[in-house]
Amino acid sequence: MSDWGLKDLTAWDDRICAIAKNHGLDWYPITYETCDYFEMLGNMSYHGMPTHYGHWSYGKSFEVQRQQYQAGMTGLPYELIINSNPCISYLMKENPLHLQILIMAHCVGHSDFFKNNRSFAFTRADTVVPRMRNAKKRIQSYIEDPSIGIEAVEAVIDSAHALSYQVPRFPCEIEDLLEKRKAWMDFHKENLDSGKMSEDQYNKLPQEPEYDILGFIGQHARKMKDWERDIIEIIRDEAYYFMPQIRTKTMNEGWACFWHYKILHELDLPQEYHIPFLKSHNQVVRPHVGSMNPYHLGFYLFNKIEERHGIEECFLARDVHHDESFIRQYLTQEDCEELNLFSFNDNPDTIEITEVSDEEGWKHVKNILLGQIGGNSIPRIYVDDVDEDVLILHHEHDGARDLEISHATKVIQHTMELWKNEVKLITIVDDAPYEI
Amino acid sequence: MGSVFSHHNTNADRSAGDRRRHKQKIEKAIKEGVHDIVAEESIIGQDGKKKIRIPVKGIKEYRFVYGSNSGQKAGSGGDADVQKGKKFAKGKKKRKGKPGRAGNEKGEEYYEVEVTLEELTEYLFKDLNLPELEKKRMKEIMSQEYRRKGYRNEGIRPRLSKKETAKRRIKRKKAAERAGTYDPESGEDFGYIENDLRYKHIKVDTKYATNACIFFVMDVSGSMSREKKYLARSFFFLLYHFIRSKYEKTEIVFVAHDTQPYEVDEDKFFNRGSSGGTLVSPALEYVLEQAEKRFNPRSWNVYTFHCSDGDNWMSDMQKAVEASNRLKEMCQFYGYCEIEPSQNDSLTWMNEDGGLSKVYGWMEDEKFKVVRITKKNDVWDAFKKFFGGKL
Repeated sequence: MSDWGLKDLTAWDDRICAIAKNHGLDWYPITYETCDYFEMLGNMSYHGMPTHYGHWSYGKSFEVQRQQYQAGMTGLPYELIINSNPCISYLMKENPLHLQILIMAHCVGHSDFFKNNRSFAFTRADTVVPRMRNAKKRIQSYIEDPSIGIEAVEAVIDSAHALSYQVPRFPCEIEDLLEKRKAWMDFHKENLDSGKMSEDQYNKLPQEPEYDILGFIGQHARKMKDWERDIIEIIRDEAYYFMPQIRTKTMNEGWACFWHYKILHELDLPQEYHIPFLKSHNQVVRPHVGSMNPYHLGFYLFNKIEERHGIEECFLARDVHHDESFIRQYLTQEDCEELNLFSFNDNPDTIEITEVSDEEGWKHVKNILLGQIGGNSIPRIYVDDVDEDVLILHHEHDGARDLEISHATKVIQHTMELWKNEVKLITIVDDAPYEI
Repeated sequence: MGSVFSHHNTNADRSAGDRRRHKQKIEKAIKEGVHDIVAEESIIGQDGKKKIRIPVKGIKEYRFVYGSNSGQKAGSGGDADVQKGKKFAKGKKKRKGKPGRAGNEKGEEYYEVEVTLEELTEYLFKDLNLPELEKKRMKEIMSQEYRRKGYRNEGIRPRLSKKETAKRRIKRKKAAERAGTYDPESGEDFGYIENDLRYKHIKVDTKYATNACIFFVMDVSGSMSREKKYLARSFFFLLYHFIRSKYEKTEIVFVAHDTQPYEVDEDKFFNRGSSGGTLVSPALEYVLEQAEKRFNPRSWNVYTFHCSDGDNWMSDMQKAVEASNRLKEMCQFYGYCEIEPSQNDSLTWMNEDGGLSKVYGWMEDEKFKVVRITKKNDVWDAFKKFFGGKL
């Protein structure tokens, strides 16, 4: 079935690593595990984590992916790699050698990105695998605890998952919010004493908008049991860990493609591998008409940066940018035209093109693109106030997009389960204030 | 610095536990959602292969998301000629309907599972059993039946289905082509893999060669509103399919009544409006008489289910109780279901001093049960009270 053995992989890997090193890439060592497609699906359901706590939603995700795969709607991804030190990546046994070579070259790019991009600075890649293992053990112990049980644990995870994307976007350490509050109070004590700040202002909870909703609930909900707080902390930790990947999807994939393509040219592959390699590469970075393929856009942009500013600028971008700032800075009108970008209204039955990338339209198109890139497709919600133990959340409306109210209502119900008291969400629907 | 290679040696099927849990959730949701499906379906004349879409609640995960109707999106045009203001009709392809799930987008609280009637009965009734009552003569005749039942991933060689196996490979090949992992022009051989193999599955069924007849009796007098009939219909649907799944042959008799009993067909049974008062005993007498005449209760398993809103003329109460007692003797099971939607009803005054359910209350035993349904969600619980007593 496969045309390769571990020996082939090792040999090609050595050459890939040598080339990458030569170019100044600096990555976490990679551990490759070979698995069959079924195991691959299993690993995908858990985001590639070697161990992960169980929850029915991962079973569902497995079923959905398997159904899609078997119905031929999607192929399996070529690569699955996690941000850990060492990185763990999976190679599917069913894949032919040229694809494995491509994947290994690609993974070096990802690993380099994980290690160097600023967004990942606080993801603690050294400890993520044991952290997840530990989390699994703790959750398992709550499930086995006769006074808690699986139903209760599941209910808390269900609710916490509903809020799992609601953590700060910018790279930061996970803070102890109680300590943060205390520090703030110490800092502003003077203002209180001198009367610059009113008592109410000083004691307000939270003093400033808090985007870390899970953290806030976990630390400030009054009637919460310790095991519930612990589960929330686990999910919060994972949310902080994954947020940088959401924020840099385009760059990360672009960087990995940029490098596997460069490495290809220096690998001196025999013809029988070279052509299929190129074919696979073209498949990966082809444009998806009507949507944005992050592999395509990222690959394109890194090439353009190299062309316009030299390779040094590429490395700089890899260090400091995230998708939004990356595109904002580097995507030019010429690029928009070349990529044939357009904006559209997605109506129920029709697609209506609103602007194309010409002289007057490209800025609009770029702005729309920026609104859906990285974490920007996730609405921003923050904790605004706690009024007589009622948790008040605010949606930061971007002026264009309303929340899906049916979903938001469910999320608020989940939030109430955790907060164990009333929760309000204030947003705007059809230009009018709206409250859930 | 080279990388490290190893064979994956964790538990091969790591998501098995979570999948099981997910499946349990679906099954539970199906049971809870069952009242929504059944009322739409006609009770008889379906062959078990018909697909039913069941809305399943609560399996979905919710997060804060943007609504589907707000804001524009951006995309790349590839080589397509894009022009401002141009409109495209969305092709069917755009709808990413997944098999077994509705292809609907955001904002939908349900996600639908498509099952056949057969599977549905299996889901619903596998834990439930008929009350073990006196055995009818015919029940002792058992027959073993070998039936083909679908395909399985595992099996013995002689049962390998070449056709299904070939189909799997073709599917996988097409999938690979679309995903770009396989190029049909390359001339590479696209071989079979273990997972393609499909075996015919043979199921052995032990069946009691028995017959059942069901009398569905319903009050169609003026006080039975559409809503009440709708609830009754859901309930009858469950009862019918449950009993049908346990017997070889099932006959149904629909008896509508106001002050008179009428034997009608299914359509008339549910849709015929009527007015006037209610007398229960004539209908019960009619059932007794017909059962005796057409089905020999000594060899047929007779079931009688009566749905009503509990109204009956006071003068008829005593007669109804007597008839019910005799019915109970004759039937394998006799169930009475009182339907009273919770909303205000001008006729509820009649129930204040005791509708039929109160009068029947003291007669309840394992052959005769009384349930009350006030809303859709009660249907399943009521059903369980009839047949799930041993759960």
